[in-house]
Amino acid sequence: MVRSNGDEATAWTAVLGNDGDAFVAIFDKHRDRVYRHALRMTANLHDAEDVTAGAFFELWRRRKAVRVIDGSVLPWLLVTTTNLARNLTRGLRRYRTLIAALPRADVARSAEDVALEQMEEFEIAAKVRDALIGLSPSDAALIMLIMFEHYSPAQAATALGISDGAARTRLHRARTRMAAALGALDDDNINKTEETSR
Amino acid sequence: MSTIEMDPVFTAALREVLLATVRDTPRVRRRWRWRAGTGVFLGLTVAAGGVALASGMFTLPGAPVNSPLGNVVTATRTGSATIEIGAPPAGATDLSLTFTCLTAGTFDFPDGSSASCGATDLIRPPIYRTSIDVVPLTVGVDNVTIKTSANASWTLQAMYVNQVTTLWGVNASGETYGVANQNGTPDLIAVVIDDGNTHGYVKESDLNCAGGGDVTSPSEALAWDKVSQNRNVSIPVYESNGVTVVGTFTVGSATGPNAQTVPLSSLSLGC
Repeated sequence: MVRSNGDEATAWTAVLGNDGDAFVAIFDKHRDRVYRHALRMTANLHDAEDVTAGAFFELWRRRKAVRVIDGSVLPWLLVTTTNLARNLTRGLRRYRTLIAALPRADVARSAEDVALEQMEEFEIAAKVRDALIGLSPSDAALIMLIMFEHYSPAQAATALGISDGAARTRLHRARTRMAAALGALDDDNINKTEETSR
Repeated sequence: MSTIEMDPVFTAALREVLLATVRDTPRVRRRWRWRAGTGVFLGLTVAAGGVALASGMFTLPGAPVNSPLGNVVTATRTGSATIEIGAPPAGATDLSLTFTCLTAGTFDFPDGSSASCGATDLIRPPIYRTSIDVVPLTVGVDNVTIKTSANASWTLQAMYVNQVTTLWGVNASGETYGVANQNGTPDLIAVVIDDGNTHGYVKESDLNCAGGGDVTSPSEALAWDKVSQNRNVSIPVYESNGVTVVGTFTVGSATGPNAQTVPLSSLSLGC
């Protein structure tokens, strides 16, 4: 079981040696957080599951290029989730058959019922997603890590492979664009969206 | 939305697939290729470290800077052999290895990578059959073993270095540019073309696509290899701004009478 980032760093090292148990330990640790972010980006239960699966398949496929931040692969997973959700068709193309073969519970019931229960949140999420899609991929990832996942600009900069200063400059620009795109939402709603994402 | 959890049936199935995927993945064997006149800088391999090491003045963003420590150990052998390098000096992080094949043959390196040298490689200048690799030190291992095919001759130059990785650049569009390193791959990857006379950058997405990056199964890989036997794919080379085109970079190693090079933009690869 992976309990802390220290353990995760150890687990990740084991993953790089093809340790399947270590990989699913990391999956167990981060899958809910990744899924909630995918849900925020897609506003669709089924798509969010697909994106979550895609993010972990990508984590394995691109394991040698994954940036580990403070001992954790979560920032990389969240950035990848953002990118996959921005273009579902293209991002998940290589995994489509594999994901489609995975069994699901009572799909119709869960998707509709939960969606109805969470209608307001889904509406907000959809607007946030549209606003994020209007940004460049790297700016969207920056906004997601800092504003929604509460990473520091320095951590986000490391995750994205840019300098701390560049991250702050781009964050300011991206925030301005987000604010313009979210014109229909007031601050309370945006705060609510942030809180529900935790 | 914190109350929503992923479908437990889907989660359990995904978990099993991930476990099986990791367990069934064979260890990757990196194959070195001798390329004529073009090359992607791969940070920890091929040219970037070597250029910085050799000239001490030209460093691409994201490239490791290797400071030499100690003496160069040079050895020439025929057939498999182990070269003793000596104990690493203080501050050593990596070992710089410059390998040159002197005859045709195959050569296996300690990290599992391998190289092959053909007759045509031998009539070209040595740079075309030389690989410079900078590998992290393995504690307690002070030697390098090269395994070869029968009677294959080679020269190895080894030197301990202290390695520091520089930062990638970021252009006006927010794209990172430089060489791939342990932090990942930048949006724009440094390349050299025109026999080393032109430096530029290719888009990571273009390179991935042109190299068959979307192959996901053995059958697809075989199909791609078949197509690639007679087809190279060219992609644009840009300045670091990611906009100004300075040339084209060819992906593939198809040669022979039926070989053709086609632009990536003319193909419908769906990536």
